[in-house]
Amino acid sequence: MAVSTKATAPPKPKASPLARREALTGYLFIAPYLIIGGIFTYGLLLYVFYISFTDLTASFAQKPPQFVGLSNYIRAFSEPDFRTSLGNAFWYFVIVTTFQTIGAILLAVLLNARIKGIRFFRTMLYSPSVASSVVISLIFFWLYQQRGFINYALGTNVAWLREADRIFDPMLQAFGVASAPNFLRGPSVAWTAIMVMNIFTTIPTFMIMFLAALQDIPGHLYEAASIDGATGRRAFWYITLPLLRPVIALVLILGTIGTFQVFDQAYVLTEGGPLKTTLTPTLLIYQKTLGKATQPEAAFGAAMAFILAAIIVAITIIQRRYVERSNQYD
Amino acid sequence: MAVSAKQQPVAANRAGTERPASAYVGTTIRYVLLVLLSLFAFTPFILSFLGTFKTSAEINAFPPQILPEQWRFDNWIRVWNFTIPSVQGRLLPLWLFNSGWLALVNVLAQIFFCSLAAYAFARIRFPGRDLIFTAIIASMAIPAAVTLIPGYVFYSRLGWINTYWPLIVPKLIVPVGILMLTQFFRSIPKELEEAAYIDGLGRFGTYWNIALPLSRPALLTFAILQFQGSWNDFVGPLLFLQRPQLMTLTVGMSFFRYQYTNDLTAILVGAMFNAIPMLILFFIFSKYYIEGTSYSGLAGQ
Repeated sequence: MAVSTKATAPPKPKASPLARREALTGYLFIAPYLIIGGIFTYGLLLYVFYISFTDLTASFAQKPPQFVGLSNYIRAFSEPDFRTSLGNAFWYFVIVTTFQTIGAILLAVLLNARIKGIRFFRTMLYSPSVASSVVISLIFFWLYQQRGFINYALGTNVAWLREADRIFDPMLQAFGVASAPNFLRGPSVAWTAIMVMNIFTTIPTFMIMFLAALQDIPGHLYEAASIDGATGRRAFWYITLPLLRPVIALVLILGTIGTFQVFDQAYVLTEGGPLKTTLTPTLLIYQKTLGKATQPEAAFGAAMAFILAAIIVAITIIQRRYVERSNQYD
Repeated sequence: MAVSAKQQPVAANRAGTERPASAYVGTTIRYVLLVLLSLFAFTPFILSFLGTFKTSAEINAFPPQILPEQWRFDNWIRVWNFTIPSVQGRLLPLWLFNSGWLALVNVLAQIFFCSLAAYAFARIRFPGRDLIFTAIIASMAIPAAVTLIPGYVFYSRLGWINTYWPLIVPKLIVPVGILMLTQFFRSIPKELEEAAYIDGLGRFGTYWNIALPLSRPALLTFAILQFQGSWNDFVGPLLFLQRPQLMTLTVGMSFFRYQYTNDLTAILVGAMFNAIPMLILFFIFSKYYIEGTSYSGLAGQ
């Protein structure tokens, strides 16, 4: 091996004409992304970041936008509606991601079998994920009617989508707590009804990812475990679940991103009501940006959007750190 | 991570193989659960489909009946013929058409541009390739709400409100497609392409004549997922298409729901117009759906 000093180090060989042409072709092939992504992903992101420090409105009439520093951000934190919406989104995130992840794992385990007709069952059980959120919302709008099938099936008489009572209230009363902040009283009945609907449609979406992962687990691991006496439930806890860890992390991350941005269902079913218990951050950002029911305040909307994004990114980083541990079996 | 019933030994059944009797019981329980859950999963569709044939008295009856007394198509015809004073002609066929062509344009553009970029990432060496690829993956972590809704101002400045441009141009090429197809191209052997390349087909020729035909299943999977994503999209069309005659079916249905809050049968017909094309597509291509979702992990986003 030749020992070279800095002075005598041979200059990097110039790229051959062939390699240069090759590189040019590469850039040409990805040019559409560089242009589109550059403008509509990164450019737009910077633009929205910029307007969040101005007083721009969506109707942008007369004067050019003025720089207002952090005031939109400061205002967002003291805005009661924004706090309410973050509280609602938080409960939605906690309850929906928990149940959809557990449900998806159980459903995948059930569907991971080599039995006759399994393809048919996979198809049937995946079907709720195919319809749009609007379709599902319209269908449940009907099912949740006071004179609808859900009340009939449960033997109840609840106006599901108009009920602002909070689900933790009975528990708080049992402990003798007379009054608590709204956030601690949990989501409203209406918001919980929307969560149940959402879980119904997202379990199959994530089930598919767990099913694929289950099929990648080598069978010899279970054989070895059964020799050691670990079968059935024990094998599930000590082999299956640890191996599913990376997928669980991915599902939690996707779930977090999805639930914190929930919009369609709240827009179609309740418009944020009753008593703002289904008001979501994105619904509020939409209303403020376009000036539905208020003055259009695009800059304020942008600031709230960035706060929301920061929350989402922070939570997904935590999830990545604590859940997505590389497994030792590979 | 493709899902298939054949390749892998089934882990969950392993434990039972030495005890045939309990395995038999296990399988029976599994079937019972599968049947019940399948019924449960499909019930909302069936109930609402049957509901579209009911009269308004029947739909509001309590206890609710599953079957309509008579099979009436009145509701379907009524919704199909739905008009509003400010727009000439029927709205529902228009909305169906708008959703359809928009989804088609999105899919065709994405198949071409995503596969072209993916081919470059998988096969061509150029400086900064890995860095750009990482940036593309990272961009998927930006929550859509941050740019989409406040981006309204940006598109408004471009004069794109009440046009389809904001629903087409930014989606000509999407990160999820690049990621999915790059992984696919990396998984297929290079030999065929190398022979073609040496034969003087050039990079584009090799991509177009060799790599694309080889990746038909992956392209079809991607196309189906993106068609569904576009057809089902709500926030984008809601933001940018505010005139009723421009709306897609999802936004039209939400518009319709607020016009006819008490007309439950009409709302259900609207939902069916939206759902049935997707369900048919799904049942025809369910194999591709289930495989594709597993290896992209991000269906229709």
